[in-house]
Amino acid sequence: MEHQNNDTYLAKWLAGEMSDDELMEFKRTAEYKDYKFIVDVTGGLENPAYDQQKNFTATLNKINNQKNTTKIRTLIPRWAYAAAAAVVLFLGYSFFFQQTSFQTQLAEQTSFLLPDGSEVMLNADSEIAFKSFNWDSNRSLNLTGEAYFKVKKGSKFTVKTKEGTVAVLGTQFTVNSRNDFYNVTCFEGKVKVTSGKLNHILTPGNAISIQDNIATPYKTNEATPSWIAQESSFNEVAIYEVVTELERQYNITISGKKNLKTAYFTGRFSHTNLQQALTMVFDTMEIPYTFDANRNVRIQKYK
Amino acid sequence: MPDTQKSVCEQRVFEEVFNTHSKTIRNFIYYKCGDSAQAEDLTQDAFVKLWNNCAKVPFEKAKSYLYTLANNAFLNEVAHKKVILKHQKSITSIASHESPEFVYREKEFKEELDRAIANLTEKQREVFLLNRIENKKYREISEMLGISVKAVEKRMHGALVSLRSEIKEFKK
Repeated sequence: MEHQNNDTYLAKWLAGEMSDDELMEFKRTAEYKDYKFIVDVTGGLENPAYDQQKNFTATLNKINNQKNTTKIRTLIPRWAYAAAAAVVLFLGYSFFFQQTSFQTQLAEQTSFLLPDGSEVMLNADSEIAFKSFNWDSNRSLNLTGEAYFKVKKGSKFTVKTKEGTVAVLGTQFTVNSRNDFYNVTCFEGKVKVTSGKLNHILTPGNAISIQDNIATPYKTNEATPSWIAQESSFNEVAIYEVVTELERQYNITISGKKNLKTAYFTGRFSHTNLQQALTMVFDTMEIPYTFDANRNVRIQKYK
Repeated sequence: MPDTQKSVCEQRVFEEVFNTHSKTIRNFIYYKCGDSAQAEDLTQDAFVKLWNNCAKVPFEKAKSYLYTLANNAFLNEVAHKKVILKHQKSITSIASHESPEFVYREKEFKEELDRAIANLTEKQREVFLLNRIENKKYREISEMLGISVKAVEKRMHGALVSLRSEIKEFKK
């Protein structure tokens, strides 16, 4: 038999790697029965029971014990005092000077309370920073982006933005300040809007939109801003700003914005259905666009 | 989390590695030394060393690191004494339809089998039992031991030849 000289054929046989001819030949030999028997018997063997949890616990104990025996406890090192002093200084600094800030990412909204209990709802891609120290006598915060405020009665409440400031006494209003676009809506109380040389006092139901230093007052029937109800609404806003808001609310990138022509949009779009929102904005403005399954939106050239 | 970002220094990952490999390593050492308590002790020591060196051992290297540690510990600490492996499962079910005479002598046969396995060389035994009990493929065994597949097959073959010579005598 040719495999007499082969020192691995039993291994091949056990792994089922023997050819049919070899297997036939091997089965005819006298030793086949013995090997078959050995394999059958040893196939049923099992190891002694193994308690994994017990062994893991034992391993952890060994790890902990070695640490106790090898590590020498030291007295408090000098640098610890320096570190402690630094921590105290840092905490003190934080308390008196550090700003607290809240930030939202694209397609995200958040709400929080200011130290006096005033409510703030922050729209997508926006940031608010303020100093909580001595808040009650100095209610002033910095805003980038868009937010809705429900202010508790008290001292003057000021919202500072790049475009101007809004000063109020106990009231509800929204401020939307983004690049070259500034919009304040008053829902309750009185709001004073300052932007450059412009001064405006808003009463409930009134809003003002400032673009390119031109203030456009308008009225609103809403009791709260539309974006809180998962919608964005616009009153004669440059189409470019509307498209940017679409990108913010859906965290998408819309290409071909350079194809946009100057136009103003009045209307609203939903934050929950992109397809619908695109129809609301582009179809009503008769702007051709493409939209694919990967949420890629492209604005096409048009006349 | 992709495997490349996992660190063995995190206890959660360490535990996962332990749960995946500790039993097989215990058995691997057990096949060599034949003492389950000692095998478990050496396995625990290997994991202690892995923990101590966790920053240097990438997650994907942990397995081979553990086998190397355990194997070295075995070589260093265990005298190459004869091993008698005590396998728990009764062989009745397999043997019962072989021959009535065999059933009668089952207990003696079990001892004979244990002795025959113990008489294998250490290298033959670990390969044979990794395959028969752990159901490891030759390729997996070769990776574990850092030898060629051909070498695994030779050891396997040698083990079967040796077992047959022992057990054939017993059967007559």
